[in-house]
Amino acid sequence: MMETPFTTGSREADAAFTGAAARFFELLKTFAAQPSAARGQAPDWSSFGSTLAGQFEQWLRSAPAAGASFAAAAGFPGAAAAWPPGAVPLGPAAAPAADAQSAWELLMKLGQLQGELARHWSAIAQDSAQRFIARMQATGGADLSTEGALALYETWVECAEAAYASTVRKEDFCRLQAQLTNTATALLLEQRKQADKLARAWGLPTREEADAMQRQIRELKRELGERTAQATAPAAPRRPAAQRPKATKRSRPKPANAGRSRRSRSVRRGRR
Amino acid sequence: MSDPGADAGRLFVDLGSRVAETLARLRLARDVRVGCTERRAVWSDQKTTLYEYLPERRAGAAAARTGSASKSAARRKGRPLLVCFALVNRPYILDLQPDTSLIRRLVDAGFTVYLVDWGDPDDGDRLRDLNDYLEQGLGGCVRHILEAHGLEALDLLGVCQGGVFSLCYTALHPRRIANLVTLTTAVDFQTPEDLLSRWVRGLDTGLLERAGNVPGELLNALFLSLMPFRLTQQKYVRLLTGRADQRAVEDFVRMERWIFDSPPQAAAALTQFVRWFYQENRLIHGTLELGGRAVDLKSVRAPLLNLYARADHIVPPAACACLGRYVGSRDYTACAIDTGHIGMYVSRKAREEIPERIISWLKARGGQLRPHP
Repeated sequence: MMETPFTTGSREADAAFTGAAARFFELLKTFAAQPSAARGQAPDWSSFGSTLAGQFEQWLRSAPAAGASFAAAAGFPGAAAAWPPGAVPLGPAAAPAADAQSAWELLMKLGQLQGELARHWSAIAQDSAQRFIARMQATGGADLSTEGALALYETWVECAEAAYASTVRKEDFCRLQAQLTNTATALLLEQRKQADKLARAWGLPTREEADAMQRQIRELKRELGERTAQATAPAAPRRPAAQRPKATKRSRPKPANAGRSRRSRSVRRGRR
Repeated sequence: MSDPGADAGRLFVDLGSRVAETLARLRLARDVRVGCTERRAVWSDQKTTLYEYLPERRAGAAAARTGSASKSAARRKGRPLLVCFALVNRPYILDLQPDTSLIRRLVDAGFTVYLVDWGDPDDGDRLRDLNDYLEQGLGGCVRHILEAHGLEALDLLGVCQGGVFSLCYTALHPRRIANLVTLTTAVDFQTPEDLLSRWVRGLDTGLLERAGNVPGELLNALFLSLMPFRLTQQKYVRLLTGRADQRAVEDFVRMERWIFDSPPQAAAALTQFVRWFYQENRLIHGTLELGGRAVDLKSVRAPLLNLYARADHIVPPAACACLGRYVGSRDYTACAIDTGHIGMYVSRKAREEIPERIISWLKARGGQLRPHP
């Protein structure tokens, strides 16, 4: 394997740079390894295309930013998340097992949706390779000078983006994207039910109870804001707006909107 | 005839050396600073902070002022311009570095520039909704500035999602806004080119809201996945192989820091935004209500400058261009700029064309711009 600045292991480049450059060098190696390019013969485009598509598909599956796997990137549970299916649903264990069953079903659904997503990645990779080969055939193959290789890379990115854009705009992909997020979120909420049970067992407030308290506080703040506004509202109506300074100083009405926090204040803090 | 093996060897040596040079510069650029214009916090409410940006000559003296002195000083300052940025990114992109800072240009033009910084919502903010952001947050900032300057109305510049908030606020409080500028602001959230809109239309917002605040990394991954090869691969390869000098590397690192420095999103506000704007397109259908009040864009009668990007992959131009059809402003100017979404804030266009357009448009619409003493 050819050494690159990213294979020495001693560098401290950020992961994003490392990943992008490693992928770039991998592509260049694929370009350079074309049998036809080495012998100046008619290129074996189909073999070349399948190599490119395979590499590309692998990257698509692993890159968190490349599509619907964003749910997993945020720490939502993915297919790889361990989920105990629970005890055998008999006797006293029957009720908890029902929760586990629901989570298990969601996990299965998530796996199925990710399988569908993988099929889209495969289609995008194939389409990208086909577009790229068509462009290469039109230009007569790869030029392995530095500028030629960089131009080839730009072409590859254009083809990949075009293939990606044509797939991810389709109705079935958009639906799948939403289903993946919805299922991952539902699974997260199922897991939280278990955490809530544990919280109750320890006498701690659950998420729902904390939310209920927050709602009460918000309601009280809103009411307080309304009462304060009513108590301080002047009798006279405001004059029409204008972009000019007021001629005389006068008391300004408090805002009519509700919920202004009592913590609102003018502050003077450290400058940056 | 060239030897393909030798060509490949030279290629890897050359590219490897370019990459090594850029990596060395990147290591030197690790500690670059973001934000360049002196500013101070003048008001806050919960996580929201209102900053005032200071002209260079006044910056040194500002720290010593008292509150009442500050208020009387505010009345002597230039015309106030409030900048309302999006919730989904940090506003320092508008003041990233001196040569591209929109805020610095506005300050230099004589405006007293204020900026709403929404801060980072925590778990206690998960129920904070759009009306809270609009009335307590943006509304609180507007009221503070009007009082400090002794004015009845101010100029408002809304950016991206902050532009949507600005439109809603102006519709609800038309007398408080003298002139409105929107930058990359979507109005129609269901245009055919809008990939983000297509993706989120099937989301179960009830489930999402129950799941709690949404981490910034999640939204960031979503934005990157709109064009994953350009945004997670090509731009790095271009930098690494392009023989960028130290300054270009530092510019890149500042941008990179901003892109990946995304705040979390309050669950209630985000899900309302997705449901009401993206899924139901309420703003243009006239069905949006905030805090029990209808948001009617026809109530926006202030002079309006609408700037948007022709190559915007996040807010497509068609989503912005239609604004004039829905507002009640007789004085409406729309202008498409030849750049992308981020380019509106940091590109050469951002450096030259955009500030100039905003400043000249505002100057032409009343109010004395007094130079800073």
